[in-house]
Amino acid sequence: MEKFKSIIRDYPFIAFIIAFIILAFVPSVVFTDVYQSHLATLIFVNIVVAAGLNIVKGYCGQVTVGHVGLFAVGSYTAGTLFLYLGLGFWATLPIAIIVTAFFGVAMGIPSFRLEGPYLALATLGGGEAIRLFIENGNFFRSTFGISDIPTPSIMGYNFDSPDRYYFISMTIMIIAVYFSFSILRSGVGRAFMSIREDPICAAAAGINVKKYKILAFILSAMFAGAAGAVYAHMPPGYIHPNNYTVIEMVTFLAMVVLGGLGHIWGGIIGAIVITIVYDLTRPLYKYQLLIFGLTIVLTILFMPKGLGGFIDRYFLEKRFKKKTGTEKTT
Amino acid sequence: MILKTKQLSKSFGGLKAINKVDFELPKNEIRGIIGPNGSGKSTFFNLVSGIYDSDPGSYIEFDGHDITFAPPHEIATYGLSRTFQLLRLYQDMTVIDNVMSGYHTRVPYKFFDAVIGRKKIWDQERAIKEEMMELLSFVGLADYAELNASELSGGQRRLLVLARAIAMKPKLLMLDEPAAGLSPVNVDNLMKIIMQLKEKYGLTLIIIEHILKVVMDTCNSVTVFDHGQKIAEGTPAQVKDDNAVIEAYLGKKMDDEEMRKALAV
Repeated sequence: MEKFKSIIRDYPFIAFIIAFIILAFVPSVVFTDVYQSHLATLIFVNIVVAAGLNIVKGYCGQVTVGHVGLFAVGSYTAGTLFLYLGLGFWATLPIAIIVTAFFGVAMGIPSFRLEGPYLALATLGGGEAIRLFIENGNFFRSTFGISDIPTPSIMGYNFDSPDRYYFISMTIMIIAVYFSFSILRSGVGRAFMSIREDPICAAAAGINVKKYKILAFILSAMFAGAAGAVYAHMPPGYIHPNNYTVIEMVTFLAMVVLGGLGHIWGGIIGAIVITIVYDLTRPLYKYQLLIFGLTIVLTILFMPKGLGGFIDRYFLEKRFKKKTGTEKTT
Repeated sequence: MILKTKQLSKSFGGLKAINKVDFELPKNEIRGIIGPNGSGKSTFFNLVSGIYDSDPGSYIEFDGHDITFAPPHEIATYGLSRTFQLLRLYQDMTVIDNVMSGYHTRVPYKFFDAVIGRKKIWDQERAIKEEMMELLSFVGLADYAELNASELSGGQRRLLVLARAIAMKPKLLMLDEPAAGLSPVNVDNLMKIIMQLKEKYGLTLIIIEHILKVVMDTCNSVTVFDHGQKIAEGTPAQVKDDNAVIEAYLGKKMDDEEMRKALAV
C-alpha cells in the first residue's frame, strides 16, 4: 500500500487512468437505461466547466459571472464550424478551445482594474453580450438553433447514442480534471491563491499579478470552451441561445460554491451534486432557481468552504489532535 | 551599497509624503528607521518596493539595478523582500502554503511542466515543502503548518509573515514594524529570531520600529524621518543625542525654567 501511494504521488496520472478504467465499466454495470448515460454526460460537461470556474473564481478570486458566455463561445464555435465548413468533433474541439481562450483574455482584462462585485457586473455584461450577439445574428441560426451537429467517430465507430457518447465526455472530463489538478497543486495554484488573498502582498512576493490573473482567465476559458464543444456535439446535437442564460450561470456558480470555493475537488463535487439535484427536481421546475439561490446563500452563510472544505476540516482536526494532543476548534 | 536613493520624492496631492530623500545602505548593515507617525517611513518602503510610483526626478538603485520604474514583482526577483505593517497575511491559506507562496521567485520549473504534471515537478515541490518546513520549525510554527493562517495568534502571525518574507532568500529584507503589538518577552524572542535569520542567510536589514529599545540595541545605524524628510542619520548613540530628533520624536527638550513653567499651569 505504501509503495502504491508513493507511485501515485510521483505519477499522479496513474490515479486518473485508474479512474478512467473504473468509470468505463460504470455504464454496463450500474446504469439501467440510456437516460442515465445522458445524465452522466451532462455531469461530465458540468464538471469541466466547474473545474475551470474554480480556477478563476475559487483559486484566483476573480468573481466572474460571465462564464456561461465562454461556454456559449465554445458551443457556437463548434456549431458554426460544422454548419459552414462541415467539420467534425476532432477538428472543432481544439479550435473551440483556442477561440474561447481569446474570449477569456477579453473577459479577463477588466480584472486589472475592477474587483469584487464590480468585476462581477462587468463580466455579467460580457457574458450576456455574447449571448445576445448569438441570439440576434442570423449567422448563428439564432431562432432555430443549430441542429444535427454530428457525434464524433473513431475509425468508423460512431459514438452516436448517449451510452456511447458517455466515453467521449468521460475522457475529456478526466483529461480536464487532471490538468486542473496539476495546475492547482503546483506553484501556479499557490500564486493564484496569493492573488486572491492579497494582490499587493503577492506582487511584493514576486508574483506578476496581471500575468497570473489573465492566465487564470485563459485557463478557465479553455475548460469552458472544451465543455462547450462537448456539449454541442452531444447527441442529439442541438444548441440554442436559450441554453446559455444567466440561469445556467447561477447553476455553475452554485456548483462551485457548494463544492467549495478554492478547494481542489470543489467544482467536481458540486457539479455532481447539483446536476443530480437539478435532474431530480425537474417536476418542481418553478422552484429550481429558488432552490439554487438558497443553496448559494446558505452555503456561504453556514459552510463558507463548501462540502470540500467541510470534509477537509474533519480530517485536519483529527490529524492535529493526533499530532499535538490538543483540540483545535474554530 | 545595496540600496541607494537619490532625490526620492512622493506627493499625494499637495502633501509631500517623501521629500527629496537621499538614502544609502551598505551590505550587511542593520538600519533602523524611526520617526513620528505620518513622517513617511512606510511610504519610503512602498516606494522602494515598487508599490507606489515615485515622483519624476527620483532615482532608486538596488543591488546594481535601476528600479525607479520597475514593478514590485520585478523588484522582488532582484532579491528585495518586505513585510507590511498590516501584515497582509494570506488568511484563507494554510500556514505552509503561506510560506511556500513566498518561495515563488525561486520556483525552478516552468508553467507548462506544471500543466503536464511531470514527475520532476512533484519532486521539486516536495523539496520546496521540506525546506519551508525547516524554516517553519526554525521560527517555531511547524506544528501549525496545516492550519489556516487566520487561526494563528497575533504573535504567531508576526512570525509567519517574517518566515514568508525570508522564503525567497532575499538580499535585503525590509521589516515594517515587526514587533508592533507584541509583549516584551515576545519582542525579545522575535528579535532573537530575526538576528539568527540574518546570520543564517546573510541578510541586510531595514527595520521600522517604534520600540526604541529594539532600534537602539540591534541596529548598526539609524535614520530619522520627519515630515517626509531625513532629519538625522548615524549610529544609535549619535541619533539619540541629536536635538532635532529629540524635538521631532520624543518631544522638545526643556530646560529647568521652561519645565517649571509648563508644570505650574
